[in-house]
Amino acid sequence: MKIGVFICHCGENISRTVDCPRVAHFCEGLPGVEYSIDYKYMCSDPGQKMIKDAIHEHKLDAIVVGSCSPNMHERTFRNAAVSAGINPFLVEIANLREHCSWVHDDVEAATEKAIELVRMAIEKVKRDKPLTKIKVPVTKRVLVIGGGIAGIQAALDVANAGYEVVLVEREPSIGGHMSQLSETFPTLDCSQCILTPRMVEVYQHPKIKLLTYSEVVKVEGFIGNFKATIKKKARHINEDLCSGCGLCITKCPTKKKAYNSFEEDLAFRPAIYVPFPQAVPNIPVIDETVCMYYKNGKCGMCVKVCDREAIDFEQKDTMLVADIGAIIVATGYKLYNIDKKTFDSKYKGYGEYGYGKYRDVIDGLQFERIASASGPTAGEIKRPSDGKEPKKIVFIQCVGSRDPSKGISYCSKICCMYTAKHAMLYKHKVHDGEAYVFYMDIRAGGKMYDEFVRRAIEEDQVKYIRGRVSRIYEENGKYIVKGEDTIAGVPVEIDADLVVLATAMIPHDNAPTLAQTIGIPYDRHGFFNEAHPKLRPVESTTAGVFLAGACQSPKDIPESVSMASAAASKAMILFASDTLEREPVVAKVNEDLCAGCFYCKKVCPFGAIEVKDITDVNGIVYKEVAYINQGVCQGCGTCTATCLSKSIELAGFNNEEIFAEIAAL
Amino acid sequence: MEELRKYAKELLEKGEVAAVIGYQQVNERRTKPIIVTDPADATKLVFNEYCLNNLSVYFTRARIRSLMRTKDKPTKLAITAKPCDVHSIIALIQENQIQRNDVHIISFYCHGVVRDFGCEFSGDYLASKCITCETHKPLYYDKIFGEDKVTPQASDKSLAKIKELEKMSSKERFDYFKSEFDKCIKCYACRAVCPLCYCQRCITDKTIPRWIESSSHGRGNFAWNIVRAFHLSGRCTGCGECDRACPMDIPLSLINRRMAMEVKDLFSFVSGRSLETPTLVGSFDKKDNDEIFM
Repeated sequence: MKIGVFICHCGENISRTVDCPRVAHFCEGLPGVEYSIDYKYMCSDPGQKMIKDAIHEHKLDAIVVGSCSPNMHERTFRNAAVSAGINPFLVEIANLREHCSWVHDDVEAATEKAIELVRMAIEKVKRDKPLTKIKVPVTKRVLVIGGGIAGIQAALDVANAGYEVVLVEREPSIGGHMSQLSETFPTLDCSQCILTPRMVEVYQHPKIKLLTYSEVVKVEGFIGNFKATIKKKARHINEDLCSGCGLCITKCPTKKKAYNSFEEDLAFRPAIYVPFPQAVPNIPVIDETVCMYYKNGKCGMCVKVCDREAIDFEQKDTMLVADIGAIIVATGYKLYNIDKKTFDSKYKGYGEYGYGKYRDVIDGLQFERIASASGPTAGEIKRPSDGKEPKKIVFIQCVGSRDPSKGISYCSKICCMYTAKHAMLYKHKVHDGEAYVFYMDIRAGGKMYDEFVRRAIEEDQVKYIRGRVSRIYEENGKYIVKGEDTIAGVPVEIDADLVVLATAMIPHDNAPTLAQTIGIPYDRHGFFNEAHPKLRPVESTTAGVFLAGACQSPKDIPESVSMASAAASKAMILFASDTLEREPVVAKVNEDLCAGCFYCKKVCPFGAIEVKDITDVNGIVYKEVAYINQGVCQGCGTCTATCLSKSIELAGFNNEEIFAEIAAL
Repeated sequence: MEELRKYAKELLEKGEVAAVIGYQQVNERRTKPIIVTDPADATKLVFNEYCLNNLSVYFTRARIRSLMRTKDKPTKLAITAKPCDVHSIIALIQENQIQRNDVHIISFYCHGVVRDFGCEFSGDYLASKCITCETHKPLYYDKIFGEDKVTPQASDKSLAKIKELEKMSSKERFDYFKSEFDKCIKCYACRAVCPLCYCQRCITDKTIPRWIESSSHGRGNFAWNIVRAFHLSGRCTGCGECDRACPMDIPLSLINRRMAMEVKDLFSFVSGRSLETPTLVGSFDKKDNDEIFM
């Protein structure tokens, strides 16, 4: 075997601490090494050309590159080798940068170590076997989790490209938080008016299978070949029969039994309900916790009035299994619990602001509902406690956000904008009212965003006070907001009629659970992690799973939408070919030696290991052995390490190769 | 005793089991294993304080396993097992080496066995595992014989030795085990008697590449005994057969027992005690100690 050794200086990154020419020179004399050289930038075009030329000129069989981490340029060097006719798996990388030059400063010792690292790689490459990529088929169907604006956009994009979509929404209707908003910044166009056509399009699209009131409970498989189990919760309505006439809702005797969560608990709803008039699908749900039928077996008014016999009290949750090629996660956000009573251990509440205690201290989404024409006050600004029009309103920004002492260090990004919008909407409706905004900074980056805030200040005369609020308390029907104006350097006290808290955006409570179900990483807050913060922002680190919208980090509508379209296009890139090439680094069981203890099966994180029966001549099973599905195996090597008798080999990292590497030390 | 023989005979006659793995008396203070396939031989079966072997090891032997397949249909194997042997059977079931349905467990109320053949049954000669044993009635069985009797009192010398070793410096401890392992002749009797050493090819016999030095001196002896300890930690049920089988009297169960104590402290897990509890290796609990990963 003729081996070529190529030592890269990485500019000065390696050569500053490693004597690269000496490493190259040393390797010349090693058994099997035909050619050895160092160069300033091996990854550059001339560097790659050096490798290719050397392969041709010296008839090399395998190469070792001493360079940066294989994470960076393994692919580059493998491609160079392939173009010169060498199997890509006969290329070994000795990591002389991250593992050596960057972590040492003694040139002599680092050079010695570099030589050792290269020697190990040479011994390994001698035993490397050529491997060919594994081809697996791709199921061209996308699972979109979450039916907010991000999920809707992603589903429509994928479906309009001609691929099938399964859109799963936890709530009875799609629409998400955007359907709750009154107007949107910076154009003040009506949120529902721009959203509902999209919702209807989803519902009518022949390529989209819409599953509302459903949750993804299990995801198995791998990129191109996922299998998702979806729980369709019992609506107690036969969706095929219901015409959406709404008679059952108007006749239901439990008029005000439950808080209407779509109205952010500012209104009530009966046991049978659709979340809002434009809901898609326009099919009601029966809330078992309040329905009289489930309490005492009586009533059944809805059954009596429904002439289509669509009510089905006996309906049970059903499980659906779908073959999926790619997953787009768009589960959105929720608002941080300001209420001290309900805060969980991760976050600390803002009891000093009296949220949950004073009915006129509300959060941003509640104000959206009050300002919305379809909301509980029909768009008139009235405060929840007595329905009076507030003449003095205080908005407080950064409630939770940018406050590490409350557990949230990040900026929620949209609050500066929506607070300006709220203040503006208020001023447009209450002309003689006064609006105050307490802010830390105004972060209005975005097209027409700063202009929008300026308009609130200059045209609508919203009074911006830079400073924090320490306390809110009630006095004679007013809410005394005690704060500080840090520019004027004076304490401020405002007797407000209504206080709106711009609370932080946080992930849903079950975001970590969903992340574990799908197998994607998440950060300490519960936001899903992107594969690379700059270059791969819509991909998760799990191949075939993409992210869209506020489940990744706080986002406004245009950002969520563009991220959704990006995620959709990532899924479509995957679908552009019928098969998927996978790295051949997979594990294989020696069936003669396997004792069938199945510890490998227990530890496999990908569910790639199955039980295979070995039968005797009479067809009687005499032994069970582990069998690894090559399509599912990700080559992590956990089974290889677990196997007590070392009867599993990982291609590209087999026992002999690793042993030779260690022995070379 | 007669009950046992009658019961075994019936099982064989009815064809419910292909064989009964049991004990046969050799002399007053010694028994040996017997595989009874002929109902007439059932009269040879015994059970007493001299039934030392952990017979569950036979379930891992291809020749014994093949008995289950000689008839037209798959048949069970019966075993006479002490309650501690049942622990091994549980571990074997959990590691998929046998199915619960393939085994007919004939067990006994047990009040201890002797340390070695030829000893008198008393506190002085009680097997070390019996001193702290809490399982006088088997955890799982299909048939049980005998009655609960009191175990003779004895001092736990093995635990005393563990405590003594814990007090040593790591150098002293190393020297102690070095002197013990120096005796090892690599006969692998410990491996042969261990029910959980069922690998079809032991890692020590793997030659390409040879991970474990097989020579019978320093390096090889340490490598073998440490690999054995690691491969059994969280799995060893503490039957003590390795100790009894070692012709060089290396105190192997000291290592296994110490590892089991560690596992119990860290994971509240004792191997072979329940069919419902998942095996330690291969199960993950968020409450697990992050510092140690098994």
